[in-house]
Amino acid sequence: MEIFSIVTRSITKNGVTAHKDPKLPPLPHVSDGPDWTNILNLFNPEQATLLVATVQTLYPHRGVAPTVYRRVVVNFDKLASQTPSAARLSLAFCDKLSAASPVSFTELAETYRISALKTIETTPEFIFVQRMSVRYLYDDLEIWASFGYEGASYHLGGYIKRGFDDLNWLPPLPNDL
Amino acid sequence: MPTYAFNDSDAVVIIGSGAGGGTLANELCQRGLKVVLLEAGPHLTAEDFVNDDWAAYEMLSWLDRRSASGNWRIAKDFPDAPSWHCKVVGGTTTHWSGCTYRFQDHELKARSTYGDIPGASLIDWPISLSELEPYYERAEAKMGVSRTNGLPALPANNNFKVMYWGAKRLGLSKISTGNHAINAVPYDGRPASIQDGFSVSGDKHGARWSTLNVEIPRAEATGKLDLRTGARAIQILHNEAGEANGVVYVDAAGTTHKQTAKIVVLAGNCIESPRLLLNSKTGRYPNGLANGYGHVGRHYLRHIIQTVWSIFDQPVNMHRGELMGGLVADFAEHDPARGFAGGYYIELNAMGLPTTAAFMNPGWWGYDFTNVIEQYAHMAGMFMTGEDMPQPGNRVTLNESELDAFGVPIANLHYDDHPNDLLMRNHGYKTLTGIHQAAGAKRCIEAPAYPASHNLGSNRMSAKPEDGVVDRNGETHEVKNLFIVDGSAFASGGACNPTLTIVALAIRQADFIATRASA
Repeated sequence: MEIFSIVTRSITKNGVTAHKDPKLPPLPHVSDGPDWTNILNLFNPEQATLLVATVQTLYPHRGVAPTVYRRVVVNFDKLASQTPSAARLSLAFCDKLSAASPVSFTELAETYRISALKTIETTPEFIFVQRMSVRYLYDDLEIWASFGYEGASYHLGGYIKRGFDDLNWLPPLPNDL
Repeated sequence: MPTYAFNDSDAVVIIGSGAGGGTLANELCQRGLKVVLLEAGPHLTAEDFVNDDWAAYEMLSWLDRRSASGNWRIAKDFPDAPSWHCKVVGGTTTHWSGCTYRFQDHELKARSTYGDIPGASLIDWPISLSELEPYYERAEAKMGVSRTNGLPALPANNNFKVMYWGAKRLGLSKISTGNHAINAVPYDGRPASIQDGFSVSGDKHGARWSTLNVEIPRAEATGKLDLRTGARAIQILHNEAGEANGVVYVDAAGTTHKQTAKIVVLAGNCIESPRLLLNSKTGRYPNGLANGYGHVGRHYLRHIIQTVWSIFDQPVNMHRGELMGGLVADFAEHDPARGFAGGYYIELNAMGLPTTAAFMNPGWWGYDFTNVIEQYAHMAGMFMTGEDMPQPGNRVTLNESELDAFGVPIANLHYDDHPNDLLMRNHGYKTLTGIHQAAGAKRCIEAPAYPASHNLGSNRMSAKPEDGVVDRNGETHEVKNLFIVDGSAFASGGACNPTLTIVALAIRQADFIATRASA
């Protein structure tokens, strides 16, 4: 299955363009439809949906597309496919979270989702999923652009002519620094 | 490049190619000595490096599993990776923001200056600042340190403007863009910085000094350096007289070799160097090499390091430009009136969004976190580095319950905060937050320490054999011809970033080893 099919190394949001280093793989393509789970190796559709809902509940950002959260789970799947301990922790997390409430986690209102996550917050499975959510969500090019991080710069000549000292809401600095 | 025979008994064998080992290798080659430089990692170049927080971390770091214990927060947040250094040619100089500061005179006399602090195992250094100064000068010249030798300061960036005006409004006075081994103008064949913001990711542009781009190529040019990459040292050997005479290492193909040596030098950073000594037990040295007084691995220091991230109404864009180009030195002195021993420096700190999110407060989730991180573009950062107290129980040990791929027990790192450390942390948080508030911050986040890259003290230098591991020249008190040239040899931590002192000590040690080798 070809995951890295679309060449996306820069994204613009609200006037900010974020760049991925040209040597690194572009963003994986993730379908907008329910068939997006077809590209996963390890997680079944239920587990994948549960993990997406988990990342959305842990790190809720208004205006960030579901595709971004799906990409986090695609990265989870890749890691878990390569690392047995990651697979064990991810799958155990899904079991624990499913058991934490009588209603399916994905059907819960946000306040109950938060409560369910809090009941397992100190477990190694939660800690793993929470850390990996941060690891992958905030490494996403679309998130970078959304929150004003421009990313790789060397291939664009650095920031020396692109605003490294353009802050103008404080007084100018003295010349004798 | 020469290849010395495994039984060549003339070579100096150095383990580790970072600030200490890479510098020493070049200094010895320049003096005509034969050097075998064993580096556990690969030889990457600027072409390989990427402008990317995580990809660079995974490319450069020493990622072998460790364990952690003690009451420090790292044992909870990063139990498998309590310390941060690199495994590549150039060592941790490839992951380095270029801060190059000198110890202050009193910091080399820590025990005499601070007195008897309960629970602390302070000693004085066996060398004085006046003895070190000529070597600091040579180090600054070779590294091209800004604001020394007529070199200009790094230009002020956005994050610095925030620090400057906050500090100024608080009445602080020792404010500058600091001293860095990063070129503001072309120097020594290296270009000026283009402010790409990725000096800690290998530095593709090469404006920053590293042993990878300066010392090792110059050592190679002498025809005296035999650099072996993917070479993992596992044991130091000694002869019947008890003197170091070789190293056992495993090469990249998994084959074990024994390299004979005239002199062995450890430069594997503060965890691996004591680990190697502890793993080199023999009948003659049953507690490991150079450990007759039990100091190997002890008195581990990591500095009082923490960051404050603050949010402003208007954009800062701290990711643009050199990450740590700012210094406030008003708290560097030892001032007992503050209620704690030692001082600290305030430095600029910036990270990309990926690592800011990861290190701001590990374990933090929910709307409060997302509200903060969404304002990344309006965020400024500052960092402090201060002197922590040595304690004998803060130490590197072998964790016999788990062996690595080479059959060596993994390292355990134990650290308990000393009361003096907590008082300094508290003072520092208030100062950092105060500076940002004075510049108009609407919210300040006091971030906890992350895995240390200032790793010091675990094979410390002492005047008396019973107080430490190595003498004033970095040679172990107990085992002749065995030297240490990394931060583990520091007698105490001082407040400043350690690299300049590691380089100065390496140049000084080269003079001593050259004399010994020709004897």
